[in-house]
Amino acid sequence: MRKIPIWIDTDTGVDDAVAILTAVKMEELEIVGVSAVAGNTSQENAFRNARDVLALAGRKDIRVYPGAEKPLLRTLEYAEHVHGRNGLGNAEIEHSDAPIEEKKAWDALYEKARELKGELVVCPVGPLTNIAIAIALHPDIVDYIKELNIMGGAADGGNVTPCAEFNIYADPHAAENVFKSGIPVNMFGLDVTMKAYLFDEDIAEISSYGNKASDLFRDSTGLVYRIRQQRKKQGLCEHDSCPIVYTAHPDWFEGHKCGIYVETQGKISTGKTVTDLWTDFKYEDRHCQVFLDLDQPRFAKLIKDAYKSYGEENN
Amino acid sequence: MNEKIRKRPVILDGDPGHDDAIAWVLAATADEFDIRAITTVAGNQTLEKVTYNARRIAALLKLDIEVARGRNRPLCSDLIIAPNFHGETGLDGPALPEPDHELSSLSAPEMMAKVLQESEEKMTIISTGAQTNVAALLLSHPELKEMIEMVSTMGGGLRNGNWTSGAEFNILVDPEAAYTLIHSGVKLQMCGLDVTEKALVYPEDWERIRALNNPVARIVAEWFDFFFIHVKSLGWSGATTHDPCAVMSLLHPEIFDIRDYYVDVELNGKYMRGATIADYNGILGKEANCHCVVDLDREKFVDYLIQACAKFEGWEVNL
Repeated sequence: MRKIPIWIDTDTGVDDAVAILTAVKMEELEIVGVSAVAGNTSQENAFRNARDVLALAGRKDIRVYPGAEKPLLRTLEYAEHVHGRNGLGNAEIEHSDAPIEEKKAWDALYEKARELKGELVVCPVGPLTNIAIAIALHPDIVDYIKELNIMGGAADGGNVTPCAEFNIYADPHAAENVFKSGIPVNMFGLDVTMKAYLFDEDIAEISSYGNKASDLFRDSTGLVYRIRQQRKKQGLCEHDSCPIVYTAHPDWFEGHKCGIYVETQGKISTGKTVTDLWTDFKYEDRHCQVFLDLDQPRFAKLIKDAYKSYGEENN
Repeated sequence: MNEKIRKRPVILDGDPGHDDAIAWVLAATADEFDIRAITTVAGNQTLEKVTYNARRIAALLKLDIEVARGRNRPLCSDLIIAPNFHGETGLDGPALPEPDHELSSLSAPEMMAKVLQESEEKMTIISTGAQTNVAALLLSHPELKEMIEMVSTMGGGLRNGNWTSGAEFNILVDPEAAYTLIHSGVKLQMCGLDVTEKALVYPEDWERIRALNNPVARIVAEWFDFFFIHVKSLGWSGATTHDPCAVMSLLHPEIFDIRDYYVDVELNGKYMRGATIADYNGILGKEANCHCVVDLDREKFVDYLIQACAKFEGWEVNL
């Protein structure tokens, strides 16, 4: 079977780590590059964490590239209350001794996209700063990326403000740029990711596997789990794994064709992904899909199976 | 006299418009209501046209009331109108009787202030257009807020807009007016697109209205005929019966799903100007300021609408 080449652009991040560790074990996918961006945590933390998580997964061969240290125009506030000071919920893991890449994310991504002649699927699961810079610097990259499977936004609702989700709110100008670039966009926003549960029994099961990956899962998710409990919400939502799992299993997700633009000039709505999905008014440009639902049991099982498979190697 | 005091005194403020007209038919037949004023606002069509329509509707419904007109434009925005839905007159379709009352010499907000000052009890304002007049009233007569029981408005949409990707038409016409109203502290019930796009009246429903075969029912059916031409072209299988929700949710709250949220109005924005944004999860930690109507029992809505139209049995209309 020919594997789908994917690139993960990440502000690693507790749920980013889950997405990476899951992607590594999905036989349909081949991770051909990873890039770091400031978001949940600093670029420096994200870069280190991505490297360390891949080393933990036994994949030091996958290259990690440094990216943007701040959004295009706005000032970033890290989500430390969720992701801790180090980005991994203050969990400590061994540092990778892989060679440190100096090449910047936007150049490395462009080169890989050209090399793969339009086959590359890019999964940005942090702010879209790196992708926006890549498009600005290398305009023809739009012809070489097959699709952008993005974790970000929300057709309805928000988590940072009443109508904006963190990744898009963090860099709305980059997002507006990317959504308008012409690259086909599949948006996995809060509409679907808030249904992408691992329930308490799934969390307990993963935590019990006793391998390095599951230990990281257990140690890194404490902060976010306590926040969820305080808000009387069940389980955890694996936001960033949605676009990864979708890339291999598109039929597990329910998407709708639409246009999506990003508000950058609002007083209270900046960072909202504004879709024409439900409106009489339609944009001229409707090359996006917004996802609203998923097959949660299969999604959760895939993540559990991925974590379980680390046991065979580490123990 | 005693009979009258027990009724709920209301002001009808709108921009008729087919769905405003149907809302007013519903209001006129409600035994619970005592209609004290009719005021007009620019929106679905120009002020001149919607005012003429309001006076013709008052004549049709034999309402012994002078219509007062508002300003010919919103507080800050340039006027936008909706001739694609409502035609050149703003109420294209069936012939209507000519106005039989003079136009009031008072402006719409002056008329609102007058009836509120004269009232012995709190009044309800049913606003089915842009909230320009209501905002002008609140800004000019803040002391009269305590005389307002509630404003029931058709406007906004928590999930989506219609005229733009972010905004519903009535709010988009005058976002500053909507902002003024929503932050005024006056009790507000808002029927946004969340409910009004579920208040679908299908052609077979208004055939039941037509079959009542009284003069007003026939006109209502013909309003639906006209309004549905454009609505259907947008892909709807029934008429989105927006404005009547603002009346029906007062008469029969039990058939509606009403949620309390903190709601704000976006005044800026490239795509979102005029959007009504609800804080579903209390992120802002602010107290709810709006009763948001989000769903309804469609069948009952239609039944009540038909019952209202049936009350015009034997009605005489001088065309």
